Amino acid sequence: MGSLEGIITGFQTAFSIEAIFFVLLGVFAGTIIGMLPGLGPISAIAVMIPMTFGMDASIALIMMAGVYYGAIFGGSTSSILLNAPGVSGTVATAFDGYPMAQQGKAGKALAIAAISSFVGGTVSVILLMLLAPALSSVAISFGPPAYFALMVLGLTAIASLSEGSTIKALISAVAGFMVVTIGIDPQTGTQRFTFGNINLLEGLDFLVIALGLFALAEVCSLVLNRKDESIKNAHNIGSLKLGKKDFKEMSGPMSRHSILGFILGVLPGAGATIASFIAYITEKKISKKPEEFGKGSVKGLAAPETANNAATSGAFVPLLSLGIPGSGTTAVMLGAFLVLGVQPGPMLMTDRPEIFWGIIASMYIGNIFLLILNLPLIPYFAKILKIPRPLLISLVIMFSMIGVYAISFNTFDLYMLLLFGVIGFIMRLFAFPAPPFILAFILGGMLEQSFRQSLTISNGSLMIFITNPISLALLIISLLSFVIPIIQQLRKTKQRG
Amino acid sequence: MPISQKTLNSGDVLMFKTVNQRVSIVLLLIAALYLIIAYQIPSYPYTEVDADVIPKTLGWLLVLLSASLFFLKDSDSEEQKERRKIPKKEIGVLLVVAGFILVYIALLEIIGFVLVTGLFIFFCSWFLGYKKYITNAIVSILFPIIMYLMFTELLKLSLPSGILPF
Repeated sequence: MGSLEGIITGFQTAFSIEAIFFVLLGVFAGTIIGMLPGLGPISAIAVMIPMTFGMDASIALIMMAGVYYGAIFGGSTSSILLNAPGVSGTVATAFDGYPMAQQGKAGKALAIAAISSFVGGTVSVILLMLLAPALSSVAISFGPPAYFALMVLGLTAIASLSEGSTIKALISAVAGFMVVTIGIDPQTGTQRFTFGNINLLEGLDFLVIALGLFALAEVCSLVLNRKDESIKNAHNIGSLKLGKKDFKEMSGPMSRHSILGFILGVLPGAGATIASFIAYITEKKISKKPEEFGKGSVKGLAAPETANNAATSGAFVPLLSLGIPGSGTTAVMLGAFLVLGVQPGPMLMTDRPEIFWGIIASMYIGNIFLLILNLPLIPYFAKILKIPRPLLISLVIMFSMIGVYAISFNTFDLYMLLLFGVIGFIMRLFAFPAPPFILAFILGGMLEQSFRQSLTISNGSLMIFITNPISLALLIISLLSFVIPIIQQLRKTKQRG
Repeated sequence: MPISQKTLNSGDVLMFKTVNQRVSIVLLLIAALYLIIAYQIPSYPYTEVDADVIPKTLGWLLVLLSASLFFLKDSDSEEQKERRKIPKKEIGVLLVVAGFILVYIALLEIIGFVLVTGLFIFFCSWFLGYKKYITNAIVSILFPIIMYLMFTELLKLSLPSGILPF
């Protein structure tokens, strides 16, 4: 099927009444879950997956994509109103958004966030439409060694770019990979780490891990902070109107960071968080009045909000065209694809154009819905933040339990969910980042498969990864991506010692 | 006094080091356990790369990384230390919530989804300090019923009905 025909199919899918309804549902749910304290896009996607059972795959994935960028959009609201970002991608939003709210201009801040998110989201979808097919046609020639190297790069990039210690992030990734080796080895049929338990033969479901490490671990933090009264001090929203001067000030950062944020989103490991920080720092550096930043600057708010939404669409490039997620959140998105029986990758564009182009096309609609939901309706939405913490905690626990149970109808998985909730909480206490864990868990199976396929091709020689130019280049980059931070860390240790 | 102050400081440094070192010891134990089982994976003759290659690699990688963690000094910030300071009472609260979850799982397939979910929401919210009994009761009744109907009617997935007749 030709590319143009594919695009038309995609738009037809995305503009059907059913798809429009589910996009609306997706962005609505995403906005609300993203707005809730602590619950980010990973929990939002994981909680919504059970809703898609029995749905048509293209419609279901259009909805799930909506949940994802809706959650990024919604996260800015709690950053601005409470200085409590629901998502790490909106931490930078609070730098200038919260001071603006403190000055009684919360409405203006929310409007700036909504408009810059819309611009960032929409511009980057255009770029996504151009880049994803191009990358797909390149990736179609990739063999197992190149895929192996690509996944290794994804893992080392997320480990070296995550907050805190690189070694802890790498340990987290190795642990995630270890958990996925539980079950029957698909290539030889050998049982590994099953301890004779029939519930472990098929391995653990990714929802158990995603909901445990993210939603339940977050519940623990919510329990500890349940007496937090910050919502009672939330400011009145005030007028949502923006003046001509505001638009003039926003236009620069919006145009710059739509593109820059998109590029950072495409790169493995970077994503919305890093894109928003870089956008903030760049804007402050090039500003004529850097002293305004941190005190309610329009530019300082528009820049990270544009960038994090642009990065979200950017992250769909490797996910759709290579089938390889570059972040924890897109890893869970990949999980959603696999649950619905869709394998993203270079063949998706030609084999399932209604999914490939449908998701992309639906993002235009989704962003318009988000603008409508966030601009006039935001004062009503913000009331969600007032949901009492104890009730919120009980409901999040129940959503997680239902999600896992609906996949397996087995209480064994629920015990495992609780176990991973505890593991996730302990990881937080000792500053082990969870995104590398979930990414390794989701990539682990594919990584092992491509590794073994490569060695089968080469009759067991590891040289195949070096003689293949693509895999060699990627492996060198991934080696550098974690060796450099470790050397820097060691130097710091030496200097201090 | 100066002496005691000095010992206090070096004690601090010692504590500082031991957090990461204790964690790394635990990780080494996990790695060892994982490797012991990995070396017992039966071999399969007709393949270039057997099922035990990746697990063994992962086990040794974890050994290597935990050893590096042992020697790293400065990756535990003040903020993280602060985060670990949980009052004993709060640990008790977390354990009770975990206990509620365990009871929930154990009873789910026996007394059924709607009843056990309603009870969980009501008692868990109440335990965590939610005092508006009427709102709590309404949510505890409506949420499980809506969820149950959505799953069984819309998504055609059966949740355990338990002792309730429907």
